[in-house]
Amino acid sequence: MDIVVCIKRIPDTADVVGIDASKKDIEKDSLAFKINDWDDYALEAAVQLKEKQGGSITAVTVGPKEWDDILRRALAMGADKAIRVDQDMVTADCYAVAKVLDALIRDLSYNLVLFGAQSEDFGCSQLGVMVAEMLGIPHAALAVSLQVADGRIHVSRELEAGMLESYTIELPALLTIQTGINRPRYISLGGIKRAMSKELQVMSLSDLGLSLDTLAPMVRLEKLELPPRGKEAELISGSPEETADQLARILQNSGIF
Amino acid sequence: MAEILVVAEHRQQKLADVSLQILSKGRQLADKAGIELIAVVIGADVSGYAEELARWADKVLAVKIDTPGESLAEPCQKILSSIIKDRKPKLVLIGHSSFGMDLAPSLAVELDAPLATDCIDISMQNDSIVVTRSIYNGKVNAVYSFVPCEIVIVTGRIGEFASEESDRKGEIEKIDFRLEEDLGYKVFEGYIEQEVGGVDITQADVLVSVGRGLKDKENIEMAEELARALGGIVACSRPVVDSGWLPAEHQVGLSGKTVKPKLYLALGISGAFQHTVGLKGSEMIVVINKDARAPIFSVADYGIVDDIFKVVPALTQKIIELKG
Repeated sequence: MDIVVCIKRIPDTADVVGIDASKKDIEKDSLAFKINDWDDYALEAAVQLKEKQGGSITAVTVGPKEWDDILRRALAMGADKAIRVDQDMVTADCYAVAKVLDALIRDLSYNLVLFGAQSEDFGCSQLGVMVAEMLGIPHAALAVSLQVADGRIHVSRELEAGMLESYTIELPALLTIQTGINRPRYISLGGIKRAMSKELQVMSLSDLGLSLDTLAPMVRLEKLELPPRGKEAELISGSPEETADQLARILQNSGIF
Repeated sequence: MAEILVVAEHRQQKLADVSLQILSKGRQLADKAGIELIAVVIGADVSGYAEELARWADKVLAVKIDTPGESLAEPCQKILSSIIKDRKPKLVLIGHSSFGMDLAPSLAVELDAPLATDCIDISMQNDSIVVTRSIYNGKVNAVYSFVPCEIVIVTGRIGEFASEESDRKGEIEKIDFRLEEDLGYKVFEGYIEQEVGGVDITQADVLVSVGRGLKDKENIEMAEELARALGGIVACSRPVVDSGWLPAEHQVGLSGKTVKPKLYLALGISGAFQHTVGLKGSEMIVVINKDARAPIFSVADYGIVDDIFKVVPALTQKIIELKG
């Protein structure tokens, strides 16, 4: 069972506060970056499959040199090999990134391709399913369980309101992984150091027979805005004891207790 | 043909709410641009859905197929790509549901059409389409346009567009579709209801709801103490279930329960739309979160910007005192 897992590096959205002067990007100076949460679940799913079935895991990403840290982490988690396509495509549309991943993955050996179901930063939930169509393999988005047997994969997909639907899909196939499908293992700094000897290959767009002009976005970012505040909450201020006291009285006066 | 085409989704004898929401939005856009609104519905028996959709659409394409399951991505993609290549609508609208996420990206690639997903606003100005997306977990809105092209595909966020009543009587065209391709590589096995335990958060008057800010499973006890003082029960957002701190039956939101308690008290919840969409009907929403910019404050009636580990124990104590 050879598995390719596509991962992304994102800023911690809890720390995002502002838009920069270009109005096309956020202020990134003080942000901490990490692996996209959904991709962490996809990696864990791959590692668990490999533990049961054997085979190999290749972790891939498209990004600048700083993105090596998430690949090193993937190697520490259990990936055998990592590939980074050296191109900053954070502002590209998913279609363009999908073309790069399609060109990369089609030359790799794989039975299964895994993506996170969405990213924490842009949240498009497009990329995996686009790549499946380009590779010409079946897909299922939002997988919350999977088992492999006899060249097929049994998958449950998440629908709305607690419903799931299940499929049996012939391999090779592509799944996008929903959070909660497993509990991603803890990766220590020591683990990352021990994995430093594993192979991390860097490729360029031209290695893949691509150039930036064939990857021009069809969806164009015009500007970023701060969202309207909606209905403004009445803020209660003071020390914890004071705010707790005021809130308790509001709840009492509203007949909550 | 200048028209807007809406893809309707259904499951277990019901049209999806999001389909009626994007249909209403499509109606507005079509009226403003003076063009037709076409709805497509695909399934084994779609005549009932077609009549419902005809209240909004100028024309409904009722496509009959004999594949198991109802709104499955692969047969829908084959049928839709054929219809779209033929009709060339300016705009294709799909709900950003699990169905839409499984369908729209592969459809866009097959048609070589630009795709913008999970949009919270859509407008057509002088022949060009502009959409707004909510990014960075609700912290920022992004406005997008498209390169000049024949067809644009947009998926609309669930719960973002009001479904407005309409009493049009659109034309219904029945289509029998024969799939040429054998889709045996992907077999639908059935629906599964998530396991139900003993807790029903939809019936509680007071929900004390916890999120990622709770930091650790053992801190659930702090929320339970507050819930006990208020006569309520503990609910949660998705990361709490994903981390194994509470079972799924406690989860509020798109993939969990929709709740309408008298009081929804959110502790350490940032307010991703997937969560807030499930609690908007609450009579009173109170938020305690140390991040003043957390999107959850925009749906709250009262807010405290502070550390839940300082405020919540004091609040529990105060409520017990006041109750005497």
